[in-house]
Amino acid sequence: MARSSRHGAAPRVRRRRLPLRYLLPVLVLTALMAMLMLRGYVHSEILADHRVRPPAATDQVPQEVLEGGPVIDTRDGTPSTLSVPDGRLVLTFDDGPDPTWTPKVLDVLKKHDAHAVFFITGAMASRHPDLVQRMVDEGHEIGLHTFNHPDLSYQSQARIDWELSQNQLALAGAAGIRTSLFRPPYSSFSDAMDNKSWPVTEYIGSLGYLTVVNNTDSEDWKRPGVGEIIRRATPENGEGAIVLMHDSGGDRSQTVAALDRFLPDLADQGYEFDNLTEALGAPSAHTKVAGLEAVKGKAWVVLVQASMRVTDVLTVGLAVIGVLVFARFGLMLVLSGIHARRVRKKNFRWGPRGPVTEPVSVLVPAYNEAKCIENTVRSLMASDHPVEVIVIDDGSTDGTARIVENLRLPNVRVVRQLNAGKPAALNRGVANARYDLIVMMDGDTVFEPSTVRELVQPFADPSVGAVAGNAKVGNKDSLIGAWQHIEYVMGFNLDRRMYDVLRCMPTIPGAVGAFRRSALQRVGGMSDDTLAEDTDITMAMHRDGWRVVYAENARAWTEAPETVQQLWSQRYRWSYGTMQAIWKHRKALVEKGPSGRFGRVGLPFVSLFMVVAPLLAPLIDVFLVYGLIFGPTGKTIGAWLGVLAVQAVCAAYAFRLDRERMTHLISLPLQQVLYRQLMYVVLLQSWITALTGGRLRWQKLRRTGVVGAPPPEASMPAQRTQSAGERRPVG
Amino acid sequence: MTQQHQGAQGGQGAAGTENPYARSYASQYGLPRQRTEEPPLPEDTGTRAEDGPAAPPQSGKPAKPGRDRYLDLLRGIALVRVVVYHVFGWAWLSIVFPSMGVMFALAGSLMARSLSRPAWGVIRGRIRRLLPPLWAFGALVLTLLFVGGWNPADGGTWSLASVLNYVFPLGAPPYPEEAGFPGGLLDGTWAAQAAEVLWYLRTYLWFVLASPLLLWAFRRAPWVTLLAPMALTAVVGTGLVRIPGETGNAVTDFAVYGSCWVLGFAHQEGMLTKVPRYLAVSLAALVMAFGLWWASGHLTADGWDLNSIPLAQATWSFGFVVILLLYSPSWQELPGRLAKWDRLVTLANNRAVTIYLWHNLLIACTVLIVDKFYELPFMDERMMDALSTTYTMWMFILTWPLIGLAIVTVGWVEDIAAKRRPRLWPDGSRRGTGRRRG
Repeated sequence: MARSSRHGAAPRVRRRRLPLRYLLPVLVLTALMAMLMLRGYVHSEILADHRVRPPAATDQVPQEVLEGGPVIDTRDGTPSTLSVPDGRLVLTFDDGPDPTWTPKVLDVLKKHDAHAVFFITGAMASRHPDLVQRMVDEGHEIGLHTFNHPDLSYQSQARIDWELSQNQLALAGAAGIRTSLFRPPYSSFSDAMDNKSWPVTEYIGSLGYLTVVNNTDSEDWKRPGVGEIIRRATPENGEGAIVLMHDSGGDRSQTVAALDRFLPDLADQGYEFDNLTEALGAPSAHTKVAGLEAVKGKAWVVLVQASMRVTDVLTVGLAVIGVLVFARFGLMLVLSGIHARRVRKKNFRWGPRGPVTEPVSVLVPAYNEAKCIENTVRSLMASDHPVEVIVIDDGSTDGTARIVENLRLPNVRVVRQLNAGKPAALNRGVANARYDLIVMMDGDTVFEPSTVRELVQPFADPSVGAVAGNAKVGNKDSLIGAWQHIEYVMGFNLDRRMYDVLRCMPTIPGAVGAFRRSALQRVGGMSDDTLAEDTDITMAMHRDGWRVVYAENARAWTEAPETVQQLWSQRYRWSYGTMQAIWKHRKALVEKGPSGRFGRVGLPFVSLFMVVAPLLAPLIDVFLVYGLIFGPTGKTIGAWLGVLAVQAVCAAYAFRLDRERMTHLISLPLQQVLYRQLMYVVLLQSWITALTGGRLRWQKLRRTGVVGAPPPEASMPAQRTQSAGERRPVG
Repeated sequence: MTQQHQGAQGGQGAAGTENPYARSYASQYGLPRQRTEEPPLPEDTGTRAEDGPAAPPQSGKPAKPGRDRYLDLLRGIALVRVVVYHVFGWAWLSIVFPSMGVMFALAGSLMARSLSRPAWGVIRGRIRRLLPPLWAFGALVLTLLFVGGWNPADGGTWSLASVLNYVFPLGAPPYPEEAGFPGGLLDGTWAAQAAEVLWYLRTYLWFVLASPLLLWAFRRAPWVTLLAPMALTAVVGTGLVRIPGETGNAVTDFAVYGSCWVLGFAHQEGMLTKVPRYLAVSLAALVMAFGLWWASGHLTADGWDLNSIPLAQATWSFGFVVILLLYSPSWQELPGRLAKWDRLVTLANNRAVTIYLWHNLLIACTVLIVDKFYELPFMDERMMDALSTTYTMWMFILTWPLIGLAIVTVGWVEDIAAKRRPRLWPDGSRRGTGRRRG
């Protein structure tokens, strides 16, 4: 979408009145990032700690604990243990709830009228609160199993506190209760307590929790087969037992199948399946939460649900942008290849009336171009095609017009006007032009001798109404210049060739373009309705049924903005102007004939790639940053490098088509991490402007920027009448 | 590129706007990029004579004997960064701003400029300005060490001889890992903290001594000389070849920062501006990316602290310095909002050696003061807890007044060493001490 620098000096938009323009994108990005992090947090991607401590010495663990029952009570400082009475079995399920297996486990338990204890993790409970509610509703008991399942013997006291309170928070949000049962991650039997895990157990007891380990371990997570699970889970001689099983963490079909056999078998042996406090004959471990706690829990669960939905949407967005980017690259490679082959064929002719040799009027609108105008005009004098040059001085204050006049060149005329903007200047130029083929260029642009000739050759085809040339960056040795150089080469050699083949070229660059006078007259000349008069006129041409083509050899050298400030305001005008032009021509969508064809094919296409796709582009960076920090770092960098490689291939192809040296491509990686973001932030800003009353803003920008100085109030009506008159267009 | 277009650029350049072509023209014709009246590190002062004729033809006004305030600012930032790093020990600071690389590059630049005069005189001048501040520091540290019971002769003759490095730091001056302190006020690591920064002086000395040769090599084969130290780092800094002992440290430090020092030459000689900027920046970014990648695979106990990963330090610092020097704007004075830092920057530059030498010992001493806070009458349990959690921050706050004290008490040695009238507080604010108003 590279074009040219537009008329006049870049507007100085240093002091923005609305910090909203910065604030909003930043807020949106921060919110997205926060949502991603919340999701990563409940998916154990953040703060996950998968270390498991090897067994340690046991000499500091009280003997009565090592040899005692599986329910350890250290609440009053002196450890005691409890066991389940004979004939009672307490089934415990760890690590859930899981969206696939927990419902099946619950179904089986319900079928056999059994109660159990679920030791849930806060992360899973936050993600599946409805399952927790169902557990409570169906008479099961809930115990804590920490928030995201670290080995607590490695954790600080603060982290332990936090693991428990977050787990309670999730439980409160999901089912409106608290629990006093706790099972440490990676725990097993009482006699497995050691010097490292015992202090943790003591500490947790001091917080008021009963620590619940187990008597029999089904080891169902190893998936040893249904029979084996049952064998390991079954206690000997009708003893009471706490049985360890899992309802989460992988395929639990064996667990479900085992339960379905195990429950009726043991019921036949006289076992009852109670939850823990029923089996112990104690009051329920659950207490209702109310007030602030309940609200906080609910808020937490709602936030997690929202973050999961947002991340789902983001992931879809990322997929969409990925597909769009790659589809676009694929399409560009294919179509630009077709275009290049077509126009480079040996006896390629644009049309029956070629070669075009008739003289051409070259319009050079100039606003304070004293530095460059001489080079511009002299480059035209070297043209190998007959030209008349009309320099339209748009109220310059630096003597631009005088410089041109003092050159005393034949076929160069200067037309002066009060400062009225570039569209008006161009219309005035058209009115003063002698010939029917009109080339428009910028005052800071330099043509090659063959540029004009190459640019007008497509007019051999009578259906061609306008031609886009190939604008090239002259100052490409600075970093920002090199980035724009890459962008221009890709924009002109891939995008424009593609648009040419698809017949929906959105813009004829202001730096180098040619028009048929009759076509200009039919669409009413240049208009100042938008900030991008070149996009506006090009769309108007399409709607009027003219073909707009790309002439690859019509090269024009232009000076790209050298500072971020200038670049920003240039791109802001472009992207906002493009949006204005699309909006202005929206009716094409429903019209008949060529206008409708452009409206239903070209317009959506252009909107998709120039306005919508860049809106999703920040997602790439959001996911990149997230992936870099929270992992998988290697894969993230790999994916990023992959996308970079695809871009490098496309860029290299564009450079080859343009016969450019590849050395500038070395700045492509940096372009991807510094420049691309600038471009989409500008686009975001344009969107915000458009959605928050942009029209006012546009006029302000226009007066201070494009025009340079605010015109006196009196001149405003004059300007209006003039531009109204130019609809004909004569000045 | 077409002829016409080049014409257009010529037009731009002729109009005298700020553009790279004009700059490279200046450097090509050897206009001095900076003129130093009072160089900060022990650089030579005897440059005023040569500044006169070479000064740029600023018509009308007499050429101001100004310094490049951009480089001064960089040196100031580097110093502050070093102090912050030594207080807090944040590894990531070594990535955010590779101070040592920046300091060596700045010193290298000044060295290259001075070497337009006979090499021997330049080296002598540099050494003369380096040693007295070190002697002042060494005198105190050695006295304290001896009083604390350190006997370097315990390690044999060689160990005793290495104490001479406090006089002439060809090697890093030795210190005991566990040292007594009079009255037991400081714990045993104080000497290690105080003297661990002295490697910088050794490396600086090595660079000064090697500079005539390096500059000669640089002028003949600039790229090879520029990149050779990094190649050397890849050999001696990665365990490929391990040189034992202090020699190994010295060679590694020389290699790690050698490319930065030579970058100073490149900056001084205008070589950087001859490379198209996009190319220089892009390549520098790639070198830095390599540094990060290398670091990611060679993390030490200090994590991402590049000071512990020689090759990462060399490459990251190199790329960083390339970019800093490429965008070197050559300020006559600090622009805009930076202007209010002018005095501090001036002071830091005039007392760079003092600040660098003393800061780590002073950081160790802040402990003495912060510990006293616990004995204040109004301290209760809660405030003590608060003090404990904010302990490092109090150290940081107290470090600065102590550095100020050091500047006042021993800073003047720098002036003596430079054969200048000693000054108490050279922040450029008063007549006589001022640079620009004087």
